[in-house]
Amino acid sequence: MSTQSYKKQDAYSLSSSPDKMAVFQECLQQFNATPVNAKKCRQLLAKLLRLLYNGESFPSQESTTLFFSISKLFQHKDQSLRQIVYLTIKELSQTSDDILMVTSSIMKDIQGNDAVYKPNAIRTLSKVLDPTTVTAAERLFKNLIVDKNPIISSAALISSYNLLPHAKDIVKRFSNEVLESIQSFKQFNSHQFELHEYYGSATSNLPSTSYMYQYHALGLIYQLRNHDKMALMKLITSLSEGVLKNSLSIIQLIRFINKLLIDDNSLQLLPIIINFLKHKSDMVELEACKTLINLQNLLTDEQEMMVIGTLQKLLSVPRTATRFAAIRLINKISIKHPEKIMVCNLELENLINDSNKSISTIAITTLLKTSGTGSIETTGEGVDRLITKMTSLMEDISDDFKMVIIEAIENLALRYPTKVKKLVGFLTDLLRDDGSLELKSTIVDALFDLIKFLSDDSSKQLILMNLCEFIEDCEFTELSVRILHLLGDQGPTTSNVSYYIRHIYNRLVLENSIIRSSAVISLAKFAAVCGGIVSKNIIILLSRCLNDVDDEVRDRAAISLNFINHHKKNLIVNDSKYDLAVLENKLINYLNEEKFENEFDINEVPIISNEEIKSLEYNQKINKTEVEEVKEEEPEVNKAQDLLKQQEYAQELSMIFSFGTLTKSSSVTYLTDKENEIVVSVVKHLFTDAKKLVLQFNIQNTLTTTKLENISVIVQPDNEGYQEESIIPLEELKPNQTGVSYVVFNFDETDIIAGFGNTLNYINKDVDEEGNADPNDDGWSDEYQIDDFEVLGGDFITGLYGNFEQIFEKIENSSTTAKVISGSSLEEVIEKIKNQLNMSFMDGSEFVSKDSNSHVLKLLGKDVYGGKIATLIKLAFTGGKIVGKIEVKTETKVFGQVVLDSIF
Amino acid sequence: MSLNLSLYTISSVLILDNEGKRLFAKYYKPTLPETNNTFSSSQFDTKEKQLKFESTLFSKINKINQDILIFENNLICYKQVNDIIIIFISPLSENESLVYSTLSNFNEALLILFDNSIDKLTLLEKYDLLCLCLDEIIDDGIIIEYDPATIVSRVTKPHSNQIDVNNLRNIDISEKGLFNALSFASKKLGERLQQGL
Repeated sequence: MSTQSYKKQDAYSLSSSPDKMAVFQECLQQFNATPVNAKKCRQLLAKLLRLLYNGESFPSQESTTLFFSISKLFQHKDQSLRQIVYLTIKELSQTSDDILMVTSSIMKDIQGNDAVYKPNAIRTLSKVLDPTTVTAAERLFKNLIVDKNPIISSAALISSYNLLPHAKDIVKRFSNEVLESIQSFKQFNSHQFELHEYYGSATSNLPSTSYMYQYHALGLIYQLRNHDKMALMKLITSLSEGVLKNSLSIIQLIRFINKLLIDDNSLQLLPIIINFLKHKSDMVELEACKTLINLQNLLTDEQEMMVIGTLQKLLSVPRTATRFAAIRLINKISIKHPEKIMVCNLELENLINDSNKSISTIAITTLLKTSGTGSIETTGEGVDRLITKMTSLMEDISDDFKMVIIEAIENLALRYPTKVKKLVGFLTDLLRDDGSLELKSTIVDALFDLIKFLSDDSSKQLILMNLCEFIEDCEFTELSVRILHLLGDQGPTTSNVSYYIRHIYNRLVLENSIIRSSAVISLAKFAAVCGGIVSKNIIILLSRCLNDVDDEVRDRAAISLNFINHHKKNLIVNDSKYDLAVLENKLINYLNEEKFENEFDINEVPIISNEEIKSLEYNQKINKTEVEEVKEEEPEVNKAQDLLKQQEYAQELSMIFSFGTLTKSSSVTYLTDKENEIVVSVVKHLFTDAKKLVLQFNIQNTLTTTKLENISVIVQPDNEGYQEESIIPLEELKPNQTGVSYVVFNFDETDIIAGFGNTLNYINKDVDEEGNADPNDDGWSDEYQIDDFEVLGGDFITGLYGNFEQIFEKIENSSTTAKVISGSSLEEVIEKIKNQLNMSFMDGSEFVSKDSNSHVLKLLGKDVYGGKIATLIKLAFTGGKIVGKIEVKTETKVFGQVVLDSIF
Repeated sequence: MSLNLSLYTISSVLILDNEGKRLFAKYYKPTLPETNNTFSSSQFDTKEKQLKFESTLFSKINKINQDILIFENNLICYKQVNDIIIIFISPLSENESLVYSTLSNFNEALLILFDNSIDKLTLLEKYDLLCLCLDEIIDDGIIIEYDPATIVSRVTKPHSNQIDVNNLRNIDISEKGLFNALSFASKKLGERLQQGL
């Protein structure tokens, strides 16, 4: 008995990977032996493959040697050996050099007729061919693609697909054969199979065909035809009627239609997808739903209900993967239209106890969204029931999922303040249970956010008191410190100050030095804000800390006492801070310039008041939760980055103009399609001190053979308040370059709303491949009409977060009007107003329930002169029109009219 | 959401043992350049990154039968069979049901090939069948065949099971276990008896 066979029975030697060099040597020895022992070689090749699939790789030289000796195995006729030889060649082809030498052997096998390994040979061929040798195989490929055997046809199609990057021109010549393949019917040829009677009856009754070749052919034809939209459309229509028998190919077809629909609303294709909503295969139904959800704007309500109906059905199939996919899609709908999926609530509730925890988590988060939209009575019940269900579930799911649920609860509480008490109760219960630091910080984060953004004082106190209890026995120092800090910020303004002071003082007695020192600061804040008797008592408490064993605690106590005694309130409590992003940016610039003789000017860094920070954070919060869930869609522009961007603009502009400080820059608006030959976008920059509006046109030349020269944008305002001052044209734009042209306007503060018509003026010149124009060519001048844009109130306003009722009451200067607002649905109008006014929606008023006919919007903002604006808009949908009653209150007088005019 | 318009569907196939060590790992690199960005290829471009990914993934899915989950922006479908885990990884936008069916059909094909016993030992013993079977299902991330019976019928038998009755001399007795000898003997005996009848 050889040692090798002995080893084979030893479980332990099998589980460790074979030695690389030993296998290499043995391979060389066995493959070069005559006659070749087919059985041994197959085992040896399996060993080699195992090395490769374990991530080992042979250096190029050894790999080539190996390759060479493997090619010797082509002498042996054995099928079982030949098949694995092909696989090995395929795997080694990436690292070896002389792979071309096996081409002729492979070609010989392919031309042979009835071998099992013929498809393997075809697929291996694409790995060893290079662009020069593909031509030789062209005839062969054409024959193979139309072969009557589906497996051979598939192999040839895949092989051609893999050849695309190397020899697209040649593969293009196959398109007739590929098309023929899609349409034809191919049947398995029984003698080309290895019939495994040995494996039992499973293989004796083979299906006559699996139509996989249709899928491969469709994939290939798309790559060949995707530039010709008309041809593609024709192909799709011809295929949509039952030609395709294979689920995978139908999925592929749906994706092509989707692509066409996105690119240029070819609406006549939409019904094809809708038909696939009812199909015997759940993967096709799933793909159809997936696609249609992304095309929601094109669907009628009825069609949308069909999609949801299909998803509802998919929610209760036994296959986990399908349920998982369906619930993800439902969750996606629920972000924007929770009311639409209320019909699925029953199925969703059943899924809470699903064995797959991702499914149950998504089910809960989705239910949290839908239950928030119903009428008040049913909502209360729904939330109650959900919370009881969740409490039982929370015990046996992992921390990751808990965190997702916590975030969903927080979001729900933010949107529906009436439910806060219940949800806070749930969160604090969770906080008391055992859990990791990560989990607890998520809960604490959620509670912090709730405190920050809820206007209701009683729920705020509820949270604060719960947090106080939590720190009584909190094992995580960092959490205690954060909570103490928050108590210091929020506590002094509440009604039961002494309660908090008592809890904080307990920390001062019982905890470690880090917590003690933050407790000191926290107490100092109480003293500074409350004053009076509280202040006196705290002074007594703090003086005891002067004898603390830790010097940090002593220091902090001493400095706090000093501040309190000298009434330096603003040194303890601050109501504004520097914009950190800008500060960082400035400091980096300062360090890079290395002009240290000049002092760093801190005044250049804008100071943000707490109010502004809050509104930024609120926006981020609302945006973040949505962006995370719709990750595939384009990420929203982050507000904090906006500030940084503004800083960049200011720097760029200050090099060209001297208009003083930049007040505000708008976001980028595209004036052409992004696929155009010349792509133009505009940014509006406002200088209120100098009363100037600078329009920055970003112009991109996407043509590869044309150079643009002397480019300028001719801007025609429809408001005489705007006087053009100067144009800075762009001198030249080489192919694939982007440049900037500026137009400057003076404007009148009292009448700022205007529309601008724009025309692009330039000189065209053809260039050769190196990008050089013919010096004798004067080019020809051309004009190009681009979209209009408007300057509206929104360009002068930034969003603000605050208590709407309070601000609205306080401002006196008010103006009111009622007008018809164009738009087909309330949602559309709200989205429009959001862009027109650029103000923040308060109290979750941007969410409108689908079936209601009226809605109230509460908006807060701040104009560029620093005045606050509060707008109350009552929208009603009557007789196919949307009527809005708008009431604007502004601190800056002229702005009332501006806001009113901006809405249309 | 960028839909995958190419045929490349599966970004990698892994088979791990019950300690998370890899038994089989294949990370596919699509050849069409424009598909590279949807396939997060940089995530797996070195062996170290791959191993790290595998170990974190393993700790997440071992002994938890969920069939499907999203992990580091990949769609993970997996099946735990006895002491091994078979994992298919694909881009996030892929059709979940499609990937999962491919996985379970692969599993079914292996069941037939391995004579109903999928475990680590059989897998390593019949590694040639495993490689060939997977090669008939996926080529460079493209799903080739879908039907388990068809897949199995495409995989050639290993040699040791071919018993040539007319050519007894050529049987290499040393390579056979006792069971094979017995089964061969009983088969022979049966035939003789039948002839005798």
